[in-house]
Amino acid sequence: MIQFFHVTKSYPGGQTALDDVTFDIPRGQFVFLTGASGAGKTTLLKMIFREEVPSDGQILVNGRNVASLPRGKIPYLRRTLGVVFQDFRLIPRKTVAENVTYLPRVLGHDAKSRKNLAYQALRRVGLAHRTKAFPTELSGGEQQRVAIARALINEPELLIADEPTGNLDPDLSEEILRLFLDINRRGTTLLIATHDRELIQRTGRRVLTLNQGRLVGDESLEAPATVPILRELDREPDLDREPDREPAEVDDGQEVEA
Amino acid sequence: MTFTQALAYFFREAAVSLARSWKVSMLAVLTIAVSLFIGGAFLLTGSNLASLAEEWRGEARVVVYFEPTAGEAERRAVRAAADGQPWAREVVEVSPAEAAERFRASFPSLGDLLESDGASPLPASVEVLLAPEADAAAVSAWAEGQRGAPGVDMVDDDRDWLGQLEALTTLVRGAGLVLGAVLLAAAIFTIASVIRLTAYLYHEEIAVMRLVGATEFFIRGPFYVEGMLQGLLGGVLAVLGLYAGSQAMMTQDAATGLLSRALAPGFFSPREAVALVLLGGAAGLLGSLLSLRREKLDEVAEVGQAEG
Repeated sequence: MIQFFHVTKSYPGGQTALDDVTFDIPRGQFVFLTGASGAGKTTLLKMIFREEVPSDGQILVNGRNVASLPRGKIPYLRRTLGVVFQDFRLIPRKTVAENVTYLPRVLGHDAKSRKNLAYQALRRVGLAHRTKAFPTELSGGEQQRVAIARALINEPELLIADEPTGNLDPDLSEEILRLFLDINRRGTTLLIATHDRELIQRTGRRVLTLNQGRLVGDESLEAPATVPILRELDREPDLDREPDREPAEVDDGQEVEA
Repeated sequence: MTFTQALAYFFREAAVSLARSWKVSMLAVLTIAVSLFIGGAFLLTGSNLASLAEEWRGEARVVVYFEPTAGEAERRAVRAAADGQPWAREVVEVSPAEAAERFRASFPSLGDLLESDGASPLPASVEVLLAPEADAAAVSAWAEGQRGAPGVDMVDDDRDWLGQLEALTTLVRGAGLVLGAVLLAAAIFTIASVIRLTAYLYHEEIAVMRLVGATEFFIRGPFYVEGMLQGLLGGVLAVLGLYAGSQAMMTQDAATGLLSRALAPGFFSPREAVALVLLGGAAGLLGSLLSLRREKLDEVAEVGQAEG
């Protein structure tokens, strides 16, 4: 799904963000990307959705050479990905439903279709009942779940997240992590950048470690048997906590304005 | 998304944005309205002056004024010289009494000036009305010849000041075009600044839209339409202002009748008025195109990412 071949990123001042990084993430894998601040995690993620271009090397995302992608094709690449950030990047003056339906709007879905898609995506993250709320009315965890719903709305094969739990307390972090694990169980490839080593240890998945731009570790961890996150997931993998209701009932017939 | 859907979306978003930041938008609208109003006023005045000059040229005449001592023979000689000329539409002899009568009719409040000694102080004259296709050189040669004729005091050729009026008309039109262009450029700059401000207002949204895969056309479209709407609105205001000004001048009283006749006898044709409005729209579109060049929007989106 993601292949980096000897990728280097240098800036004009001589600073090197990534240095000869090579790895391969197969489809359906859940991978953590870790390292200290400034190690190059964000630069690496930005290269996947072509926010940054490598100085050297090649990047393949779902078979597509991202490094040589023409500027006009970048939007079409991004439509196949889901991206989540530490700071959520929600628009405060837009409702939850409006925030998650940016891509359907871009794709030309009509209001009814957008409403359905918003409902489905928010249902996956357990927020189908908050379609009309504004981001400022939500907790940090809920805001991040809305951001995840936005990333999931087009059923991407790859979801990348940059410090998604960085602004959240431990309980909310666990909630978000459970959500990611559930998304991964459904077949979506995940690459999560975090410097929270404890979270990584407790989850037990493949971990790529960066240090000063170099890939210094690529290991697969086993999750401890006592980790509550995984026990819960083994018992109940579906996080759809919302009842199966039609979107119209949720929104009282109002159209979603996106 | 089809092109029609995209256009509908652009207009909807532009309308929302105009309503959201209406104060700043009004600044752009008024700037373009003022520039089009001033430029349009000059063009309208130039056009009216040209019409007036054309009308007056149709009534142009050469008037030969006689000395008080000139007799019937001198007047007859001048009249005979004009009669039969191909460029002379009509030849009229005006006595001092008729001249006084005309003066009183034209300037009733100044009639007393003529009655101080009972006799008309105005000279006798021969007026030669020129045919529309009059040979200018032949008329000039004839007028020049009369200047030295016996009993002739002076020769007044209307075409002299009509030429000056036409030169003034050209000057007014030229000034209108130059001033209009300068003001329009200022208006384009203002609209560009306003659209840029609006883009900054939406920087978070622009960043998110880029992130989810919106094309540049989709992101910029609403801003282009917003600039165009501001320009069109400014154009409509300018046309309405010019029409109101024209009507106000037309309803002036007799004291200012000459001015209104010179400046406001005609308004733009519907096609010209629409062209002025469209010019405003084009200026607005140009302003938004300039303000959202790739590197400019990249700066805006970067702010969105940094703050978002």
